[in-house]
Amino acid sequence: MDNIENVQVEHISKRKRKKYFTAYAFCTPWFIGFVSFTLFPIIFMVYTSLTNRKLNGITHFIGLQNYANMFSSTTFWNSLKVTLFFTGVMMIVTTIWALILAMLLNRKQKLNGIFQFAYFLPSVIPTVALAYAFRTIFGKEAGLLNSIISMIINKNVQINWLYDQQTVYLAVFFITLFTYNTGQMMLIFRSGLNDVPIELYEACDIDGGGFAQKFFNITLPSISPIVLFNAVMGCISALNGSFALLFPLTGESGNPNGMTQVLSLLIYKEAFSNMKVGYACALSVVLFFIASLIGIALFGISKKFVFYEN
Amino acid sequence: MRRNWNVLLAVAILSVVLLTGCGGDETSSENNSSSKGIGTDQGSTGEAAEKITIAVWNEPNPSEELNMYAQCEKATGIDVEVTVIPESEYSSKLNQMVATGDDSIDIYVIWENDISNFAQVQGIDPMDDYLKDSSIKTDDFIDAVAQLSEGMGGTYGLPWCAATEIMFYNQDMFDAAGVEYPTNDWTYEQYLQAVEKLTVKAPDGTTEVYGSALPNVQTWWAGIGSAGDQVYNPATGQLVIGKGAVSFIDDCKVMVDNGFVPEPSSDTADLFAAGKAAMTWQGSWNIGTYGDELAFNWDIATIPTDEVKYNTLHTGFYSINSQSQNKESAFKVIEYLMGEEGQTINSKASGNPSAIKSIADKGAWKVETAITIDNWDAMTDSLNSGVFGYTCLPSGVTNNAIGAFEAAVLGQLTSEQAVENSSQYAKETIGY
Repeated sequence: MDNIENVQVEHISKRKRKKYFTAYAFCTPWFIGFVSFTLFPIIFMVYTSLTNRKLNGITHFIGLQNYANMFSSTTFWNSLKVTLFFTGVMMIVTTIWALILAMLLNRKQKLNGIFQFAYFLPSVIPTVALAYAFRTIFGKEAGLLNSIISMIINKNVQINWLYDQQTVYLAVFFITLFTYNTGQMMLIFRSGLNDVPIELYEACDIDGGGFAQKFFNITLPSISPIVLFNAVMGCISALNGSFALLFPLTGESGNPNGMTQVLSLLIYKEAFSNMKVGYACALSVVLFFIASLIGIALFGISKKFVFYEN
Repeated sequence: MRRNWNVLLAVAILSVVLLTGCGGDETSSENNSSSKGIGTDQGSTGEAAEKITIAVWNEPNPSEELNMYAQCEKATGIDVEVTVIPESEYSSKLNQMVATGDDSIDIYVIWENDISNFAQVQGIDPMDDYLKDSSIKTDDFIDAVAQLSEGMGGTYGLPWCAATEIMFYNQDMFDAAGVEYPTNDWTYEQYLQAVEKLTVKAPDGTTEVYGSALPNVQTWWAGIGSAGDQVYNPATGQLVIGKGAVSFIDDCKVMVDNGFVPEPSSDTADLFAAGKAAMTWQGSWNIGTYGDELAFNWDIATIPTDEVKYNTLHTGFYSINSQSQNKESAFKVIEYLMGEEGQTINSKASGNPSAIKSIADKGAWKVETAITIDNWDAMTDSLNSGVFGYTCLPSGVTNNAIGAFEAAVLGQLTSEQAVENSSQYAKETIGY
């Protein structure tokens, strides 16, 4: 009897091992990719930030000198300030705009599909192409926007949208409304809005509640997990994706006067124009920490403002 | 049991796919060798290879007669494959190739700010041994080229041309305004006066035609150097700007404020070619670009002289990749391209004079389609006063400086702040 039980136990543990082997075998390709294309580059980046590696390959270990130089550089502090400002505003602007579009699409009306298509269409244009197109639109002498305004008010208008300190942020944040990230947020918000129970709105109607009360007391709390998700995605997009938007618009120096020189632009400039790969890696480490801190902060804030059904 | 076999099969397929992707290229290199027929160059010994790859940033001329690489193939019997790398990424791509020991390119055409770096890391080979028995006239280079090569411990590159910076002007606008055409002796004061006279304003006060276009990324330095600053110190490799830059920035600001010159903006339109600016300072290679395409009569002159006559020379250096497997053949190709025939074809195609004086004197660089140009002496004058300046600095430093200068012109900074910020950034960057 004991022998039969032992054989059964052995058979079961063999099956379990095969199951685990199967699972790990299917995870292996992803794991190889993760190590090769994510983990190793991060470790290499941190190591390179401790050297004075140049683009032509010359490398010497210099410890924390890159960080010392960075923290004493006015260019870095300006870039950091611009990055935090740009990230915060872009996150807020794109999230609010995506929510507005989603709420418009959530209304029961004819041709909803066409509206959704029209709202989402700019998002499928590659960011670089979008930026170059808007650079032409926002041109001073030959820009489309200035021509339209001139026609409307019957006066020659030559606003230097992308080089004037008072208008550059307006132009840049306007363009962010058409990026892929905004379109993606809109779709996610839309699906979230569909899940809000209609009974809550009906109850609010019975109690005499208006649009604002419905929005702040029913809609927003119900979709708060989605708001958190989109806010985090918006931050990541602003930190990582701002390069593709700003480089064609304002150049690697973040014109005018460094006002749009986010860290990703500075990293590109230091690595590929100044050939200072080690210093660029140090900047990348800082950007990595900023992204992590923002993510942690958002999740920390979420405990107060995000409502989960359970 | 069957499921186990399925799992093993799936893992095996995935492993094969991964290994194939990571595999070497021995098979294809064997095929390349056999397609060469005669045999491959083994470096310093062996017969000539049939194929050489050269990296450049410009597409070869579409006309076969003006395609120096096609003509080189006919003359040498060596197949020349041109790899065009976009100009915006050219320097960084070459640096990465040197860093990784890439051997796919045999000849690099290296920019001025990279040649000493590449020599230092032994990414390119000195050519002195090859030059001993060569027909290339290395003692006939223009002075600036000879000076640039000093201090590198050998000849690591040969200049493919000597482009310069000049002033283009619209003769029709000068006639309409009653202003005398510029000469090669024009002073900076005369230029400033002409800019004002040539500006045409609309009734509402906005400018219809500017007296001059704003300096571009190349010619800002011409103005600063002309105002007396050294710009580039070859001994220290540093950016050297001061009072000259302040003065030139202030002048540009005054001209912009008065509407004589356009503001810095994101517009990329060539206002001179569009007939919206009477003068422009640009690289000499634009002679070939403009040719007979412009809708008005135009000519050239040297950039006006302020304290000194100044403009920046532009070139690229033919050099041999130290990892090349075909060095003998690579030098044969360079020898042709630096010879009279190669340099003449290059001059005709690009409008850039040769850096070899005796070849440049023959005037093949005079673009035939630029039929309105009388003052060809502007080119030779500019070459004589040209120096290797900002092109020897990292592009991040010079672009940063121009951003600061433009901010000062727009009133976002003072000119002193712009110069100070640019100098500080240059010090942080150069010598890393």
